[in-house]
Amino acid sequence: MTTQEQSQSARTPIIVFSALIFLTITTVLLSGLDVGDTGAIIVAMSIATIKALLVLTFFMHLNHEPLIFKLFVALAFVTLLTLFLLTFSDYSFRGM
Amino acid sequence: MSEQALPIEAFHHHDEEGTRLGFWLFLFTELLLFGAFFIIYSVYRSSYLGDFKLAAESLNTTIGTVNTIILLSSSLTMVLSLDAIKRGASGLSKTFLLFTIALGTAFLVIKGFEWAAKFDHHLFLQTSNGIAAGKGSPLLNPGAEMLPPGQVLFFGLYFIMTGIHALHIIIGAVWMLIVYAWTARGSINKDNYGVLERCGLYWHLVDVIWIFLFPLYYLVA
Repeated sequence: MTTQEQSQSARTPIIVFSALIFLTITTVLLSGLDVGDTGAIIVAMSIATIKALLVLTFFMHLNHEPLIFKLFVALAFVTLLTLFLLTFSDYSFRGM
Repeated sequence: MSEQALPIEAFHHHDEEGTRLGFWLFLFTELLLFGAFFIIYSVYRSSYLGDFKLAAESLNTTIGTVNTIILLSSSLTMVLSLDAIKRGASGLSKTFLLFTIALGTAFLVIKGFEWAAKFDHHLFLQTSNGIAAGKGSPLLNPGAEMLPPGQVLFFGLYFIMTGIHALHIIIGAVWMLIVYAWTARGSINKDNYGVLERCGLYWHLVDVIWIFLFPLYYLVA
């Protein structure tokens, strides 16, 4: 493998890492803004989700895996989301 | 018989992709383990919003941010370690692995100091009906004031979630030491790096969990 190819293989992880650090600093800075409690949660969780997707896609190499891997990961997160929705479909209406 | 005509390698076939998919299935169980705690956190946060915000203010955002950057860096060095072994550079792969272990250890040391500070403020294992442990706790000092129930829940969840996360960091670091030894003796190499790859997947998942823990405990105060 040539030096050119070697430097290219390290390029993607370093770009992704820079994006992750940028998003970390962004989320810390944005947490100082007064956007209300719901707003703060939405902003923080959106940035965290983008960061998680970057790690899953590039660091865990899902971009190079067959479709079945991506479907499994999607199914796992949909399952977790369903548990959240079912829990809150109950808790949100308690004591009303 | 037709099967005798098959080359011997056919019977020793190792399905690397299937192994990897199996490991992902294990990672999903980890996701559900932490997922359950995230649901508990969300429910109690919605019930005790004021207490959660007040309690979160006692956590140091700078320390949390530094630890996040440390863990993200360790994920980068882990990727570079796998990248190096794929190119046959096992020396470089081992170096990056050592960096990853060092960063993981740094994370734990910082976490340890953070926890120690909380112990000193007797925020450990308190319950709303007066059972508490730790130096200076109301149990040992009857005059001391109890925390409101919402804050007790916040710190209980904080210690359990970051504690189980820290346990995963320890397991990951021990695994990396084993991978280091196997790379050194040559059983992990350019053609056989599945163990390092799975160790990396585990490490990145622990990173993903922290990516969600960090804003929930340090940012939304």
